[in-house]
Amino acid sequence: MKPAPPLVWAVIWRTALFVLLWWVLSDGRLDSWTVGSGSVALATLLSLRLSPPTRGRVSFPGLLRFLTYFVFQSLRGGIQVAWFAMRPQTGLRPAMREIDLRLPEGIGRVLLINTLNLLPGTLSVELQGRQLCLHVLDEHVSAEAEVRMAETFLARTLRLELEPA
Amino acid sequence: MSLPEIASFILLLAGAVFFFAGTLGLLRFPDVYTRLHALAKADNLGLGLIVLGLLFKAPGAAMSIKLALVWLLALAASATASFLIARRARQHSIAPWRSGEHE
Amino acid sequence: MNGMTLGLALFLLLNLLVALVRVSRGPTPADRLLPALLFGTTGVAILLLLADAMHIPAFVDVALVFALLAAITGAAFARRAWREERETDEPA
Repeated sequence: MKPAPPLVWAVIWRTALFVLLWWVLSDGRLDSWTVGSGSVALATLLSLRLSPPTRGRVSFPGLLRFLTYFVFQSLRGGIQVAWFAMRPQTGLRPAMREIDLRLPEGIGRVLLINTLNLLPGTLSVELQGRQLCLHVLDEHVSAEAEVRMAETFLARTLRLELEPA
Repeated sequence: MSLPEIASFILLLAGAVFFFAGTLGLLRFPDVYTRLHALAKADNLGLGLIVLGLLFKAPGAAMSIKLALVWLLALAASATASFLIARRARQHSIAPWRSGEHE
Repeated sequence: MNGMTLGLALFLLLNLLVALVRVSRGPTPADRLLPALLFGTTGVAILLLLADAMHIPAFVDVALVFALLAAITGAAFARRAWREERETDEPA
C-alpha cells in the first residue's frame, strides 16, 4: 500500500482537467487567468475533498472501445425509437424484465443503469440489490444480451471483475 | 456551399428529424415508460447530431470542446432523469402498457 | 445558412411547445416530470442553434448552464420525491 503516488497523480490530473475546463469556458482568452488560476486551485482542492482519489484506474483503450460501442448503439437506439414513433402502427411490444447484474456494486452499476437508458430498447426502472428491473420496447428482443454486452465493455473500462450471474 | 457547410446542413437537418420523432413518440406512445424511451433516445441523438453539425462551424478549439461538453452534460442529465422518472412511476405503481390494450 | 439555423430553432421551439402541452395533461404524475428531460435536450438544442443564427456565442454558455441544471434538477426532483414516499408509505 503506497498512499502518496495516487494523491500526486490525482492532483496533476485534476489540475490539468480544470485548467482545460477554464480555458474552454473563457473561450481561450488570456486576460481571465488571474481569476482562472485561483478558480482552478480552488476547484482542485474542493474535488480532492469531496471525492478523494481511489485506487481504481480507468483503462484508456477500454474507454475508447466503450465510447465507440456507445456511440453506435445510441445511434441504433435513436433510429429504432424514431421508427416506432413514425410508422403508422407503432407495433410496440413492451415488457418488464428482471436481470441479475454481474458488475460489482459501485460506480460501475451506476454507469450501467444510466448507459442502458440510451441503448436501443432498454430503460432502467429499478435497482434492488443486484437485481435490475428493465423496461424493454420489444419483448422478443433479448434484453439480457444487451445488458451483458454493456457490462463487459464497462468492466474492461473500469478494470472490474464480473461476478458470476 | 462548401463541403463542410453541406455536411453541417445535413447533420443539423437530421438532428431536427430526430427531435420531431421524439415529440411524435411522446404524443403517440401509450404510457410513461415508452414515452421515456422516445425522449431519452431520440432527443439525445437529435442533440448529438445538432452538436456535430455546429462543430463544423465552430470558430476554434475552445468552442468545439464547449459544444461537446454541452452534449455530454445533456446525455448525463437525460440518462439519470429518465431512470429517476421511471423509478418514480413504478413506485407509484403505474402499470406498464402491454400490447393488445387500447393505445 | 443563418436563416436555416434560425428556422430549425423555431421548428424545435414548436416541438417543445407541443410536447409541453402533451405533458401537462399527464395523465400520471410521472408524465409531468418529463419536462426535466425536454429542457435538457430540446431547450439546449434551441439555444445552440440560436447562438449560431444570431451570432451570440454567449448563448452556448447559457446552453451549458441549462444542461448542467437539467442534470442537477432531474436528480434532486426525483430524490426528494422518493424521500417523501419512503416516509409516508414504505412499499414492501
